[in-house]
Amino acid sequence: MRFQDAAKDARAVVYAGVQADPLVARAAALLADATPPQRVLARAVMNGETTAPESWRTMFPTLFGSTGPAEGSPERDRSEAVLAASLAVAGRGEQVRSQFRGAIVEAVTELLLERRVGAGAIRRERRILFDGVAAEIHPYDVTVETPGVAEAYDCKWGARGISADVLHQLDDARAHAAAAGGRLLPVLVVFDARRSCEGRLARQTAPRTGTRLVTIETLDRLSGRRAEVAS
Amino acid sequence: MTDVSGPLERVVEALARLAARGETIEDEWTYVHDLETVWVARLRAVAVAGAAAEPPPPGPTPAELEAALDRLVAEADLVTDPHRAIDWLSTLPQATLVALGEAAW
Repeated sequence: MRFQDAAKDARAVVYAGVQADPLVARAAALLADATPPQRVLARAVMNGETTAPESWRTMFPTLFGSTGPAEGSPERDRSEAVLAASLAVAGRGEQVRSQFRGAIVEAVTELLLERRVGAGAIRRERRILFDGVAAEIHPYDVTVETPGVAEAYDCKWGARGISADVLHQLDDARAHAAAAGGRLLPVLVVFDARRSCEGRLARQTAPRTGTRLVTIETLDRLSGRRAEVAS
Repeated sequence: MTDVSGPLERVVEALARLAARGETIEDEWTYVHDLETVWVARLRAVAVAGAAAEPPPPGPTPAELEAALDRLVAEADLVTDPHRAIDWLSTLPQATLVALGEAAW
């Protein structure tokens, strides 16, 4: 099993520009430390139409209301920062924001993984090669490359991004690694609720039993922390 | 939490409108209705549990909650694109549950 940087085709070059945008790093840093309700706020705002922050504060009274965290508290400040960053993403326009959302999920995944395995073991946009096996065209969004054990992550903004192709690619990597005597853990990270993901997966016939699913409520498991039970 | 069954039914109606928009993507018809089914069931279970809770758990004031759900429904109704409607079929219930102070899943 070998890892290789993905080819820099035109799409990759354009997307690399999105990944390098400071707004992606800013949003990812906030979301890596956010609470589950703050992550739902980000999801709603980045999916939404309204650009007025006060409307979103009204929609999320447990974050911004009279019984929520006090103004000036760290928790409230982070909610405000998440709201501002999410509105900045939404303001990029429909086509561009779609790319930003994907890049943000990848960046959050990388940040959380760093807390568990260290930055040196994490790579982006990598292909995984096996002797005698045709290489997949699409690279993995994030990989953890440690001796003996590897992890391959495919990151999705929403449950609708789960497809047979994605599941096959992840499971194929796991199976090829096992056949070669190695171990590779495939993980699907979705910035959406498990309930929606399970609905999507229920209709898929592609193999998924060897693939771990990490959803918006369990993101912190990437860093080795247990997810919060309640919001 | 106070009795929120009335406001939550307005969210359920908004989900039906989103489903009507999303189901125009033919390949996603089943997924759209699966999403609607599982989230409506979750919201109604929360409504039943909330009405029975004694004393009510802490959360937003009734006025704030009413305003939040009204605004969330209005936001969902702004979505006209069927692909985004499918996104909102998952997002609206999660945001609603956060507004209620519930776990969003």
